[in-house]
Amino acid sequence: MRHYKIRFYVLASFLFLFPALLLVLQSLSKTWRFQRGEGIRFQLDSFQVLLSDPNLWSATGWSITIGLLVLLINLVVGITTGKALTSLSFRGKSFIEAVMLAPILVPVLAIAIGLHLFMIRIGLADTALGVVLIHLVPTVPYSIKIFQNAYQQLGRSMLDQPVILGSNPWHQLVTIELPLMKPAIRSVTFLTIVISLSQYAITSIVGGGTIITLPMVFFPFLDTANASIMAAFSVWFAMIPFFLYMIVEALLWLLPYSKKMRRTTT
Amino acid sequence: MKWFKTKTIYLFIPSFLFLLLPLYGLGAAIAQSLSDGNAFTLIYYKELLQSDRFLTSVGFSLYIALVSSLLSLLIGLWVTRTCYPLLEKYTPRLIVWLPMLFPHFVWGYMVILLLSETGVLSQVLQMTGLLAESSDFPVWTRDPNGIGIILTYVWKEVPFVILMLLPVYSSIKPQYYDLVQTLGGNGWDRFRTVEWPNILPVITESFLIIFAFTISAYEVPALLGTTFPEMLSVLSYEWFYGSTWEERPLAFAAMSALSIFLLIMTLAAYLFLNRKRWRAMRGRIS
Amino acid sequence: MRLLSLLGLLTIMLLSACSSQNSSQEFSTVTEQKWSEVEADAEDTTVRMFMWGGDEGINQYIDDWVTPNLKEKHNVTLERIPMDTGEILQKLQTEKQAGKQDGTIDIIWINGENFKNAKENKLLAGSFTSNLPNFNEFYQTDDPAFQTDFGTPVEGMEAPWGKVQFVFHYESEKIETPPASFEELKGWVQENPGKFTYPNADDFTGNAFLRHILYASADTPSDIYDSPLDEGSISETAEETWNYLNEMEPELWRSGEHYPNTLTELDRLYSQGEVWMTMGYNEARAESLINDGVFPETTRSFVMEPGSIGNTHFLSIPFNSTNPAGALTAINFMLSPEAQLAKLKPNYWGENTPISIDKLPKEMKEEFQSVDRGQSVLSQQKLEDSFLPESEAAYVDWMKEQWFDEVVQN
Repeated sequence: MRHYKIRFYVLASFLFLFPALLLVLQSLSKTWRFQRGEGIRFQLDSFQVLLSDPNLWSATGWSITIGLLVLLINLVVGITTGKALTSLSFRGKSFIEAVMLAPILVPVLAIAIGLHLFMIRIGLADTALGVVLIHLVPTVPYSIKIFQNAYQQLGRSMLDQPVILGSNPWHQLVTIELPLMKPAIRSVTFLTIVISLSQYAITSIVGGGTIITLPMVFFPFLDTANASIMAAFSVWFAMIPFFLYMIVEALLWLLPYSKKMRRTTT
Repeated sequence: MKWFKTKTIYLFIPSFLFLLLPLYGLGAAIAQSLSDGNAFTLIYYKELLQSDRFLTSVGFSLYIALVSSLLSLLIGLWVTRTCYPLLEKYTPRLIVWLPMLFPHFVWGYMVILLLSETGVLSQVLQMTGLLAESSDFPVWTRDPNGIGIILTYVWKEVPFVILMLLPVYSSIKPQYYDLVQTLGGNGWDRFRTVEWPNILPVITESFLIIFAFTISAYEVPALLGTTFPEMLSVLSYEWFYGSTWEERPLAFAAMSALSIFLLIMTLAAYLFLNRKRWRAMRGRIS
Repeated sequence: MRLLSLLGLLTIMLLSACSSQNSSQEFSTVTEQKWSEVEADAEDTTVRMFMWGGDEGINQYIDDWVTPNLKEKHNVTLERIPMDTGEILQKLQTEKQAGKQDGTIDIIWINGENFKNAKENKLLAGSFTSNLPNFNEFYQTDDPAFQTDFGTPVEGMEAPWGKVQFVFHYESEKIETPPASFEELKGWVQENPGKFTYPNADDFTGNAFLRHILYASADTPSDIYDSPLDEGSISETAEETWNYLNEMEPELWRSGEHYPNTLTELDRLYSQGEVWMTMGYNEARAESLINDGVFPETTRSFVMEPGSIGNTHFLSIPFNSTNPAGALTAINFMLSPEAQLAKLKPNYWGENTPISIDKLPKEMKEEFQSVDRGQSVLSQQKLEDSFLPESEAAYVDWMKEQWFDEVVQN
């Protein structure tokens, strides 16, 4: 047991932690030329460029607001549909399941124009609500899948029992389903926020510049040969889902039984 | 039981409303690819089939997407299997999920920073004298075999596979394992009889998702690909945003064809999965 | 079934809700006004300028110089929105298709093939440069560089904002005298295998490099830039171009098996000392990269015979701008001598100006002439002597396809 733990930590640190730290280090130093015998030359200019961008803070704010709204809708759509797909068996279910997954199978470039037309027609182009709706396209299918799998693991009996005992659906959701599906909620939170945060093309098209999110400030810098600025942006970028995840994790503690379960497991 | 069922169907309303969006988008794309401005035409699809550049890119894209998704699944499955009790805990889970915090192109950029001929690894090797000059370093990025692209995708998707598999593994009841052990089964039996039936739907879906993503995403191959062979997404992007807008219908045709291919593949996968589920249930009833 | 009918109803609602927005005011009524009225209308409004945002020097010039000064002088608020020009045009095109008259874009930064596409698809508001006081006063309005943009007639639909010229950069520590002609460049590459490459033809800079070879292969460069693309009549020149490139290929970086996808990739190779030369469509761009420690300090630039291609880039107004008066005021301001002088100074952008120095008041003239653009920038005289105009936009596309067939797949 101990053995595999050590192996895990060594491997995980090397493969996952080290590259992230590398980016942090690059963001704090000038272009590396070790082979020429140059050492690490520290600098903070890259973060200065970052912080001097007048759009940075408002973009961060928009990204967080949109991310949280997208997450909320994802939880609603994911839980309802996940439950429906688990509790119902019907002819053509395979077809419905495939269609539910379709939005993430179709290349974004292909549907972007159609989505923009759609948004103009319902009058939501260039608005924050439009951006939130458009961010559902690459996120909701994941949430549906994750919750469907979670409900399947709960088993149908677990879902039928409270109904037989006369519980109302809302009560059943809060006291039984949500606490038991915490791993699924975590996955959905993480995935939804990360995906919403990194949407560039559809945000810029539908947000139309009225809504400036982080990638819109960040992506143009892909064209820079200045590695430090690139790295500084990446680090800033990664902090946001990290903190949002922490917040959601804290909220999960408020669900029934959380404290007790924690105490018994630790 | 009947009222319960009819009520449950209302749970579909949010997702059906949501589906309007992407289906409209896809419909618009297909319509664009089938119209020459006024009338219906198949000319763009014919043009695609006659283009060597397009066909080569299809082959290369299939190869990249297949290798990337299979490797990601295998490694992700292996890590989850061996480490899931540990991954239930806070810190290990966050470490593993760390690459997911970065967008794909950042990770691609990191791969270049680390593994290109002038990357950190090469620089360190040169500094220690193990490598004479940077041209002796193997070409792992922007190479004709797509090593750099595959590497980036696998590195980035393994955490995703873990994310998908973890809830399943943590909900498999340990009693099943005990049962296998009592009956004298080995590790392979354990995997085949307890784990595999549970994870098969998730594995299939993860494959579909990763395959679809890697075959159609643009950023990583644009950064880590080479001039030739190129990926379909890069070629489509060039057709789409290229200087003349006359080639746009070609981009729509290529992407519509790809979308339809992916949808059919997905439908087939679900038909297969649901047939299995039906069988399993029937088995349970009888 | 009920679900289906619900969906149907929604779809009908969506389809019927299209294109009934009120239209913005007619652009010509704005341009017909007296200039003082335009400026008065612009007061206390917001102008949204959409532009490529990948250079911190350019961004800072807009954010730290233009925006505060425009606010102070004309009480106009300028908002810079970073977006790729291709996407901006795509957005406009979709809005046009949907009949959306109240757009979010007031100014776009544009030239070349993008201008051609925008003009052909009627995405621009119309002709306005003749109304701009600063343009009339300080610019050589009949300069051919302002009359056509990559061969497309401008017709007053975009105002010249800046001027750039193609140069090569090299490390003066490693190369004593850079090649003086494209023939010499080939020789240099053969003597220094692996130390040179160029971005592929899909890249803006790579394509410009290839067009230089085309110019050099012709009898005289004007054979190309003075005539519209005719594949038949340039076939010999083209043949020579491919020969040149194919002969050079084995000696390129990585033996020509891979060409950098972008200029950024080439710049990184250069900054690592992998290759000894890089290039770019802006004669002063190395300055800020040297200051940031990305390029070595010994970086200098050079141009070769038969010359170096230069072009002008412009500001324009899209068809559905909701604040044309504000856009005109802002554009006029950005063309002013003060704004152009600040743009020329190397602390922000360091980019050349299309203004006619001779038309400026004496003091201003001296200020322009006294700007030190930095050691890596060639003298104005040298740049002017080697200047070659751009060819028609169609050559860009032709080059993309031919290069892939003739050089990469060969």
